[in-house]
Amino acid sequence: MTNNKSDLIIAIFLLCFSGIMINDASNIRDLGFEGMKADAWPRVVLWMLVVMSSIMLGKTYLQFKTDNHKDNNIFKINFSKFKNALICFGMFIFFLSTLDYLGMLLGGILFVFGLLTLLGGFTIRLVFKHLSISILSIGFMWVVFTFGLRVMLPEGEILRVW
Amino acid sequence: MFDIILQAGASVLLDPLTLGLMGIGTLAGLLAGAIPGFTIAMGVILTLPFTFGMSPIQGLATMMGVFVGGLSGGLMSGMLTGIPGTPSSVATTFDGFPMVRAGKPGLALGLGLWSSFFGGMISAVILVALAPQLAFLGLEFGPWDYFSLIVFALTITVSLSGDNMVKGLIAGLLGLFAACVGEDEINGVARFAFGSDYIRQGFAFLPVLIGLFAFSQLLTDVEDSKKAKAPLMAKTADPVRVEHRKAIALVIKNWINLFRSSFIGIFTGILPAAGGSISNILAYDQAKKAAKNRDEFGKGAVDGIIAPESANNATAGGALIMMMALGIPGDIVTAVMLGALMIHNIIPGPSFIQDEPMLAYGVFIAFFAAHFFMVGLQAFSLRLFLLVTRIPMYVLASVILAYCAIGVFALHNITFDIWVMFGFGVIGYFMRKLGFPLAPMILGVVLGKLAELNIARAIGTSDDYFLFVTRPWSLFFIIMAIISVLFPFYQNANKDSLFSKIYVPICMVVLSFPLFLMGSPVRMIIAAILLLAGGFLVYKRTNSFKTI
Repeated sequence: MTNNKSDLIIAIFLLCFSGIMINDASNIRDLGFEGMKADAWPRVVLWMLVVMSSIMLGKTYLQFKTDNHKDNNIFKINFSKFKNALICFGMFIFFLSTLDYLGMLLGGILFVFGLLTLLGGFTIRLVFKHLSISILSIGFMWVVFTFGLRVMLPEGEILRVW
Repeated sequence: MFDIILQAGASVLLDPLTLGLMGIGTLAGLLAGAIPGFTIAMGVILTLPFTFGMSPIQGLATMMGVFVGGLSGGLMSGMLTGIPGTPSSVATTFDGFPMVRAGKPGLALGLGLWSSFFGGMISAVILVALAPQLAFLGLEFGPWDYFSLIVFALTITVSLSGDNMVKGLIAGLLGLFAACVGEDEINGVARFAFGSDYIRQGFAFLPVLIGLFAFSQLLTDVEDSKKAKAPLMAKTADPVRVEHRKAIALVIKNWINLFRSSFIGIFTGILPAAGGSISNILAYDQAKKAAKNRDEFGKGAVDGIIAPESANNATAGGALIMMMALGIPGDIVTAVMLGALMIHNIIPGPSFIQDEPMLAYGVFIAFFAAHFFMVGLQAFSLRLFLLVTRIPMYVLASVILAYCAIGVFALHNITFDIWVMFGFGVIGYFMRKLGFPLAPMILGVVLGKLAELNIARAIGTSDDYFLFVTRPWSLFFIIMAIISVLFPFYQNANKDSLFSKIYVPICMVVLSFPLFLMGSPVRMIIAAILLLAGGFLVYKRTNSFKTI
C-alpha cells in the first residue's frame, strides 16, 4: 500500500488534521499564570507536524510528477486486501457497542466465536471447534480476572436481569 | 549498598510467589519470543494487565522474566526452522540454522542458550555497577538537560527506525501530540477534549500502547487469509536434547567473543531506543571481522551463534541501566516497563535508585535471577513451543484480541479505555501499512509529558533560552541529536565522499566541546583525547581526500 499516491493522501490528511488541531488549540484556556502556557507545547508539536507533512507532501508530489502516472484512480483502494482487518474492526465495534447489554463474558464469547468463524470458516466441525475455543478461552480469562485479580468486569444487562 | 542488595535479593529470591510469577513470566517470554509474529514487546505488553493486582516488585519481576525469556525464546524458532522468532535473533539464524541442518541441533541450542545466559550475567553485573553511577551523573541534569536528552532519544529512534526519516519524525510528533491530549500537567487545563469528559482525562498509556503495538500487530498477522488459517509454522521441528556441557565449554573457550559481544550489547542498550534488533547484527558483524576462520561464518560457526545471542541478552541490561538511572527507556520493551512503573505510581529518574533502593535493586536481582529461570525452562518451553506452532494464527489472534480488551478494561474499569485501544489499534495498523515506524510514536507517547514538563520547568526557572546550548549536558545531548539526525545520511553516503570520511572525526571533535565545558578532570581528559583523535583523523582523511 505504501506508494506515492497513498503518501500524497496521507500528507494532505495530516496537514488538515494539524490545521484543525491548531485551530482548536486557540480554545485552550489561559489561566494567566507566569511561565509556559498550556497551549504552547501542543502548538510547537503541531507546527512541527505541519512542517514535516509539508516536506512529505512536497517530496511525494515531486516523485509523483516524475513517475508520470497514467492511472487517474488516485483514490482507488483494494478493499479485498483489508478484508480480514475490516472484519476485525467490525466485530470489535459490535463487541464494544453491545458490551453494556451483553457484558464481558457473553460479549467476549460472542466476539471470539464470531471472529473465529468469520476468519476461519463455516463448516459444522469448525463451528463447534470455534464455539468451544471461545467458551473456554473467555471463560478462563473471566475467571482469572474476576476471582484472581478481583477486577469487576462488566456483567451486562442480560445477566443482571437473571 | 551491600546490605540493600542482600535485602532486595531476599525480597525477590526468598518469596515463593515472586519466584513463581517470575518463572511463569519467563516461560511466557520464551514462548512469545519463539513464535514468529509475536515480539518481546508484545509479550511484555500483554503481561502488564496481570501485574495490576501485584506489588510493584512482583509485577516488575514477572515482566523481567518475560523480557529475558523473550530474548532467548527467539533462538528456538530461528535455529530449528530458520525463521527468527524476534528481530533480536535474526543474526542467530545465520549460523544456528546451518548448524542444526548439519545434524547438531543440541549443540546449536546449547550454544545459544548459554551465550544468552553469560551475556545476561555480564550485563547484570554492569547494570548493578553502572546504574547507580549514571544516576549520580543524572543528578547534575537540570530541566534543560533533560529536555535535550528526550529530544536526543526521539531523534535516535527516528534515525534508527528505517529508511524514511520524515515518516519517522511524523510518527514521533504524533506520539508527542497524543501525550498532549487531556489535562496538562502544569496548569490542569483541558486540551483537545472536544467537550468529552473522558478525553479530558487524557489517553491512558496502556490502552494506547496495546492498541498501537499489540492490536495492530494482530490485525497484520491475520491479514492474509491463507496464512492466517495455516498452522503458525509450516516447518516443524522435533524435540531436541540440549548439549549443555559441550556448549558451556565452547562458550567459555571463546570468551573474548563473548565479552566483546556482550559489551556491544550493553552499549547498544544504553543508547536510547536502540535495542536487541541492532545489537545482535552488530555483534555478529564484529565477530566475523575478528574471526580467523571467516569462511566458516554462515555455515554453522560457533562464534556466529555466541556473538548475537550474548549481545541481545546484554542489550537488556544496557536498556535497563538507562531506564533505571535516567528514566529514559532504552527500547520499546523498557518503555513498557516504564509505563508499568508509572501504573504503580513509581517514576524512575536519577533519584529513583536512592529513593527506592529496595525496588531498584529488586529489579536488578530479578534480571539476574530470570536468566537462571531461562536456562531451567528452555527444555520445557521447547516442547510447548512445538505444540503452540500447530495452532493457526487466526485462533490465537481472535483470543488475544479479546484478552487485550479485558486487560485494558482492568486498568481503570472503564469501557472508554477499550475504545482508546481500538482507536490507536486502527491508527497503528494503517501506520504499519503506510510505512510509518511505530517505535518513534510509542516513545513520543511515553516521553511526551516528560518533555513538556521539563521545558515548562526550564522556561519557568529562567527566560534565557540560550541555556539549552550553553549548559554542557544540554549542549552534549543537542549535539548527539544532530549527530543521530545526520547518521542515516552518513550510512547512505558514498564511502569515498568527503562527508563519509569526516563524519565520525568531526563528531568526536564537536562532542569534545561540551565535555570541556563540564570542567571535571576526567571529562576534560576524555574531551582532550576526543579532540586530538578527531582532529588527527580529520587532518589525515582530508589530506588523503586532496591527493585523490
